[in-house]
Amino acid sequence: MNQKQIGFLLRASTLGCVAGCRVALLENPQLGGMVVIQPSDDLRIYGIIYDMHIDDDGLVRQLVTTEHIKPEVIADNRNNRSVPVEISIIFCGYQQNGNLYHLLPPRPPLTLDEVYTCSDAELIEFTSAERMGYFRHILRGQDYPTAEILVSHLKQAAPAHHSQGNSTWINRAIQELIVLLRDDYPTLMNVLGALADANLTHEEV
Amino acid sequence: MGIKPGENIGYVVGGGLKNNLNVRLTVPPQEVQEGSFVVIEANDVNFYGLITDLQLGNTDPRFADEHSETRLPGQLASLLHGQTLFTNLEVMPMLMLDRGPDPGSPEYPTWRAANPDDETRAKPVKTIPTHHALARSAHAGDVAQIFGDPEKKGNFVVGNTREQNHPVVLNLEKFVQRSAGIFGATGTGKSFLTRIILAGLIHHDLASLLVFDMHNEYGFDDTASDTNQKVVGLRSKFSAKVKVVGLGAGTSIRGKSADFNLQLAETDISPEDILMLTRELNLRETTPATLDALVHSFGEKHWFHEFKQLKNGAVIENEDGKKVPAPDSVAFWANQNGMNATAAEALHTKLTRLFHLNYISQNPPGNPLQDIIRFLEKGQHIILSFGNFESDLDYLLVTNLLTRKIRAAWEEKTNDFRGGKNSQSPRPLVIVVEEAHKLLNREMSAQTTFSTIAREMRKYYVTLLIIDQRPSQIYDEVMSQLGTRVSGWLGDDDDISAVLSGLAGREALRGMLSRLQPKEEVLMLGWGVPMPIPLRSRRYDQKFWEELLGKNDLSSKSNNDLIKSLGYDV
Repeated sequence: MNQKQIGFLLRASTLGCVAGCRVALLENPQLGGMVVIQPSDDLRIYGIIYDMHIDDDGLVRQLVTTEHIKPEVIADNRNNRSVPVEISIIFCGYQQNGNLYHLLPPRPPLTLDEVYTCSDAELIEFTSAERMGYFRHILRGQDYPTAEILVSHLKQAAPAHHSQGNSTWINRAIQELIVLLRDDYPTLMNVLGALADANLTHEEV
Repeated sequence: MGIKPGENIGYVVGGGLKNNLNVRLTVPPQEVQEGSFVVIEANDVNFYGLITDLQLGNTDPRFADEHSETRLPGQLASLLHGQTLFTNLEVMPMLMLDRGPDPGSPEYPTWRAANPDDETRAKPVKTIPTHHALARSAHAGDVAQIFGDPEKKGNFVVGNTREQNHPVVLNLEKFVQRSAGIFGATGTGKSFLTRIILAGLIHHDLASLLVFDMHNEYGFDDTASDTNQKVVGLRSKFSAKVKVVGLGAGTSIRGKSADFNLQLAETDISPEDILMLTRELNLRETTPATLDALVHSFGEKHWFHEFKQLKNGAVIENEDGKKVPAPDSVAFWANQNGMNATAAEALHTKLTRLFHLNYISQNPPGNPLQDIIRFLEKGQHIILSFGNFESDLDYLLVTNLLTRKIRAAWEEKTNDFRGGKNSQSPRPLVIVVEEAHKLLNREMSAQTTFSTIAREMRKYYVTLLIIDQRPSQIYDEVMSQLGTRVSGWLGDDDDISAVLSGLAGREALRGMLSRLQPKEEVLMLGWGVPMPIPLRSRRYDQKFWEELLGKNDLSSKSNNDLIKSLGYDV
């Protein structure tokens, strides 16, 4: 597996979790990106990043008030900072005994479990399974911009599928979203607006 | 472009028996049309129906209101429309057919033995298919299963389905069992369609035909009024089977001589025939009594002749020098018989129009009326051309008189057959009546023989084929007796209602009838066909005759071709 660790688990429930990530590792995770956590040998939990949160601390508060901050100070603060970047993840499926489900995991992962970004192969395997049932977990969210998260996710998944010769996946995904949201006009138009802005237009679609 | 025969076009999403079925269309709406024949497959049952309406729908009106093509990239808008905007079909289910078990299953042979005939297994629809049952366009096999196999004897191709061009047949045996009607506004091709059906009836030899050809169209070759093309007459193609009879001595039809002429004898005319002309001759209420007295005085056979001989207004002077009715006058006869002289003289005046008709004579040569009946009994077909006698008076008098005689003859033959005197049933007879509303309107229908035929004569092997452009003028009771109705485009609401009277699903069929193309499209419906169906009628042309009679039919070849076929150079 070609996995990149982005951090460790800070807290979790069966709906989602928050991972702590060093600032230096912040290049890997992306909004809407898919992550995987393996709390035990027979269980792998998949999630999608819906928020990344950077907190301040006393030192940063003092530094921002100074007139000139030296680059070494900024680099030191970022590389050696003790306050992690908090990455919020919504769970959208799991794999158990080799079977993949677009359901909430049977139990949450534990603190300090390692959190990895999914490789393209894992992303394709997960998003190809079932009938894109994992969309409903994303659409259920109340405290994040659903349309943005969905489109960020599709923007990463579509090229992965396309690179494997499956250029119609994005069509199916959009169709499924339209079916799920056709009775919710405002949300659907938001999602479609975001899809248009993301340039997931004719050529890509 | 266009859907293929048997291709799925949608799935059932709702509806019922009363309100028809709703089918969500999965192909572009332009691919299907009102009136298309569709099949819905649900478990082991096939439902056959007609598309009666197409409606645009949406999951939320805002999707329809928003012109999303301008707001979203084309492909995205297309995906959105595919899921949120849709077309629903309204399908009127007409028949259902149990397909039975899978042909490969062990149960199939037993089931098939119990259900040998495909055509009769289709029954009027009594239930509905399940949700999401697939709807597909009918293929030729479906059409043949419901309407009949074009290759089977007695099945005659009238036209083709409009979209897929599958042949639709009319079961002629069933067609002649009840009276039928061909309707359509002027210029919609009624005469051509009538020729086609008559040619089918003659070719299949299932009934004798008596055609009252008021406008001299059906016997000899004619020229189409709109295209100026030659229109082949039935006599030209079936010279051995069809006799053209001209009304009146020496009558020629389109410059050709008739096979024989119909001269009526004065003895043929009965008071009934006169009473049928009440409206045309503006007869008074006293007429029946006067006619009754005439028959009483002169006898059934001679009353007409004797009344004709009486002089109207002739007077002589009596011994007192006073003017009194002459002994050979109408008034004298009236006074002698206790009738009102003025009424008798008025009747005489009005009957003068009949007295002057030159096809009524005292002693016509031969007995053409009996000849007509004899030919019909022998299985030949008669086209009675009216020649130059095209007035309503001629038409009403001759058709009624002739039909009255025929009715009596067929009733007698049927009674003989049923009573065991004759082992052979009478030959079925179809009387073809043009301008039928003149004979079968509300006022006349109670009196004419035609309404009796429409109502009762089915039992006596006589039926009518009525041709008219104003079906609303025909008495409701007669219209309701018509088994098969074939109608071209009609514009008048009353006419449409009349054609659809007594049929289920009238409202749905009403729109279909009013949206037929003005030419060559007809709606076939009624008892004689398993379900209503709009179709493109066959063209009455060379191809039609080749298909009906074969390419070797000599009458379809030109003189040059005939000479060449004998080995001579032209």
